Amino acid sequence: MDSYTLDAIIARYDVPDGRLLGILSEVQEQEGYIPHDVLVMLSEKLGVRLSRLYSLVTFYSFFSLQPVGEHMITVCMGTACHVKGAEMVLSALGKHLGIETGIAQDGKFAVTTEDNKFTVTIARCFGACSMAPVLSVDGNLYGYATPENLPAILAEFGWREHES
Amino acid sequence: MMHGSAGKEHVPGKPVTVTINGRQCRAEEGETVLSVAIREGIPIPHLCHEESLDPYGACRLCFVEAGKHGKREMVTACTLRAAEGLEVTTDTPAVTKHRAILLELYLAEAPKSEVIKEMAARYGVTKTRFLKKMETDDPLGGKCVLCGLCVRACTEIMGAGAIGFINRGPYTEVNTPFLEPSADCYGCGACVKVCPTHAIVMEDSGSERVMKSWSSTRVPLAQCSGCGRYYAPKDLAARTVAALDPPLEQDLAGLCPACRGNQIAEREILARFGGAGHHG
Amino acid sequence: MRVETEADLKALQAAGLKKLKPDKPRIAVGLATCGAAVGGRKVYDRLREAIARKGAEIDLVQTGCIGYCREEPLVNITLPGKPLVILHKVTEPDADAIVRAVLNGKVPEDKALCRVPAWDHVTGFVMEYGKGFDAIPLYQDVPFFAPQRKVILRNAGFIDPGDIGEYFAVGGYGAAWKALHGMEPEALIAEVEKSGLRGRGGAGFPTGLKWRITRDAPGGTEKYLVCNADEGDPGAYMNRNEMESDPHMLIEGMIIGAFAMGLRYGLIYIRSEYPLAIERLGRAIGQAREYGLLGENIMGTGLSFDIRIARGAGAFVCGESTALVASIEGRTGRPHPRPPRLTDPEGGLFGKPTDLNNVETWCNVPAIVANGSGWYAGIGAKGNTGTKVFSLVGKVDRVGLVEVPLGTPIRTIVFDAGNGGANKKKVKAVQTGGPSGGCIPLRLFDTPVDYESLNKAGSIMGSGGIVVMDEDTDMVDIARYFTGFATGESCGKCVPCREGLKHTLLLINRIQAGKASKKDLATLQEVCETIAATSLCGLGQTAPNPVLTTLAYFREEYEAKVKP
Repeated sequence: MDSYTLDAIIARYDVPDGRLLGILSEVQEQEGYIPHDVLVMLSEKLGVRLSRLYSLVTFYSFFSLQPVGEHMITVCMGTACHVKGAEMVLSALGKHLGIETGIAQDGKFAVTTEDNKFTVTIARCFGACSMAPVLSVDGNLYGYATPENLPAILAEFGWREHES
Repeated sequence: MMHGSAGKEHVPGKPVTVTINGRQCRAEEGETVLSVAIREGIPIPHLCHEESLDPYGACRLCFVEAGKHGKREMVTACTLRAAEGLEVTTDTPAVTKHRAILLELYLAEAPKSEVIKEMAARYGVTKTRFLKKMETDDPLGGKCVLCGLCVRACTEIMGAGAIGFINRGPYTEVNTPFLEPSADCYGCGACVKVCPTHAIVMEDSGSERVMKSWSSTRVPLAQCSGCGRYYAPKDLAARTVAALDPPLEQDLAGLCPACRGNQIAEREILARFGGAGHHG
Repeated sequence: MRVETEADLKALQAAGLKKLKPDKPRIAVGLATCGAAVGGRKVYDRLREAIARKGAEIDLVQTGCIGYCREEPLVNITLPGKPLVILHKVTEPDADAIVRAVLNGKVPEDKALCRVPAWDHVTGFVMEYGKGFDAIPLYQDVPFFAPQRKVILRNAGFIDPGDIGEYFAVGGYGAAWKALHGMEPEALIAEVEKSGLRGRGGAGFPTGLKWRITRDAPGGTEKYLVCNADEGDPGAYMNRNEMESDPHMLIEGMIIGAFAMGLRYGLIYIRSEYPLAIERLGRAIGQAREYGLLGENIMGTGLSFDIRIARGAGAFVCGESTALVASIEGRTGRPHPRPPRLTDPEGGLFGKPTDLNNVETWCNVPAIVANGSGWYAGIGAKGNTGTKVFSLVGKVDRVGLVEVPLGTPIRTIVFDAGNGGANKKKVKAVQTGGPSGGCIPLRLFDTPVDYESLNKAGSIMGSGGIVVMDEDTDMVDIARYFTGFATGESCGKCVPCREGLKHTLLLINRIQAGKASKKDLATLQEVCETIAATSLCGLGQTAPNPVLTTLAYFREEYEAKVKP
């Protein structure tokens, strides 16, 4: 992200409430993650210590410091989804994509496939509990997910069996 | 929101009497009971308290039971404000029970800290049922209790903001952003001074001060133009001297405190005993 | 067009009614987040295409959600002179048949869930639809709806949330008019106090009292009014529906509150996981400004008040008041000890006294003002007045949002509205109050849903999530799930929560792995009690509740897993 783009984002947040998280959220949404150099630029432009920005980015689950793949799959691990088998959906997803689905050391769970096509992460609740288990791909929600109907959902995004 | 009272002028409050363990203690209205107890020499364990900063509430060790007119509840002494008629008891069965569990948790969290071991032993806790944290290459040597004092001293007292909290929950740690050497560190060592478990490692090595706990951040030291010793962080010394009012004389500015002291003493003596001649 | 006179409001209402109940057929597709996700959007697109193809004179709109989530996608059909009919489980192929039926003055009765001859919108307006379609069951006879009483969800699923005109149609902003033009702030606060309204976010603090404290705090109009829309409890989505289906009721409630407390700044803190709610609220705020309902000199009264939205970024702990405020200020969500409280000078947002109320609390306010405190106090039970929306989810047959008067027994919600266990399984327990709540076993289902009774049972009301568990549910696994959740969401500031929960999780994992002994159960009990007694904030103080309640009520499941 270049300096001008960042300036444009900053200009949209001219009130103090919600400013820092708002700016960081837009960077996250545009880049898919928070690049190191953008955070440093932001620190200089806003006159906010880098340590403070880094605290924010590592505290809140929404931000990632690692680049993400082409498609973002988020599995809901909320209570309703849990009792309806969300953990099985998550591990089936791991098997299909050939990735480990444990918790990362920094507390943020996000794993990207080797071919960089998919990043898998978890959410605490989308608020769509009536259709548990729920997962979202690139912001689109899919309800009643099961290990069985996963391949069909993944296929919509270019995944093929035995590809991983 | 900066609550810190650092730098604010203190206006004395109304005098009140609070009773701690049956003993009447004089206090200022609004003072924290923890401050009163410390002044009176009544032991209440604490780790995250710092007189010049607002109560933080991280360590949870300073619980007491307090109330007025017989009503009692468990509350932290660092947030309990002195008021006329307040009655405080420090070692009730409930407080003792919960404190013991907390100390077991501390022993597991900071297994290499002598300070924690001593504090726990003082309250009869010598071992822990909980799994001890064993980290290889821990920059804080297995002694950090995440009390936050280093971060708060760096940011709120010194205004440097070189270190901060990283992650959250059980993954929380304190260090520099991206675990890279910090460009914002003054090398002042306030963090070292304020750490209750002496976990932070800072070493002077030749012309540099190395913050070993903070991603080996290196801060150049100023060299005394008199004795040649490296005596203080260069930038910090320069800024401090530049901010003095009345200003320091040019030829004293590059001296370490010892040499400067000697110079000033010599001049004082010369001035007092006058004359163009020199003694000795 | 700015609303300056009561005549303006009446004119807007009349214009809005022409849309809500037009002279031609109207089809409304339920498009809150879950309706959209299970195919509602595709149904909407297909209907639009079919209507265009046939050149039909039919209004097609989107609406929110009436709460019967299991039956989604839901589609309403309004034919002039006839009752409103709600169709359920509508799929794309049904679209053509619907349009054909409507063009013939009929509805596809095989897809009909129920009919609504009239609907009370609670804020001074009852919609009379019409008679007919007698073969279709009445709304109030549908078992899921029968025990419910809609006060908060008064408009959800009927009006188009994107159109302020339809909110005017049902009497919207009439309560704000009544308050701003006809009442003194003192009297208004007294009304809210007399109504008995308590904070719907879970703590149950008397709302009127909080407003009074905020009003009395020094600072003039330099104070904040904040809506907590962080709704972090997994399994709870009442606030999401309230914002997506009827954003203006939240705005109207906040305007009334601003007038009562005499302040100028309003903020809604919404979690980032609710993009549709953020979008709909943003649009509604824009519309309210256009009509002079937000901004300077609101409705010609001299009140200046505006609302902005601040987004969360994925931290459950930011539902806690001091953490929420820190987050808006651009800090990490680490709570700070109280005092100072949010309402104290220096204690709130940017150092100004701040009133923080949950979405649902605000949504009750227009209804209270429109109908009076006596009316509101007459609903529910003594000390627990009004209704509450609950999300009934998990292993229950009829999943959805259930709005009932406080004091209704758990049994009514789970068995009458919910029809008991899904797939004919036996219900074992419910978890109320999300991760801060406890598990209540079947034998205690006569417990009324009110703040005190739930506390006595070891749980809490929380924001209203009710997760049903059945005979196959492993209660130790439930305790592990919630402890894992709390551990991941703990801010990490204080030792009992950060370290205590970490070790609680380790202990439960050992129990699940068959490696624990009876002594470990005792340790588990002790550490949980200490976490509850010594944590800095509500997250830590309540995080052990799932463990403590399952240990108390389902001890046999733990004991079966440990070595003697």
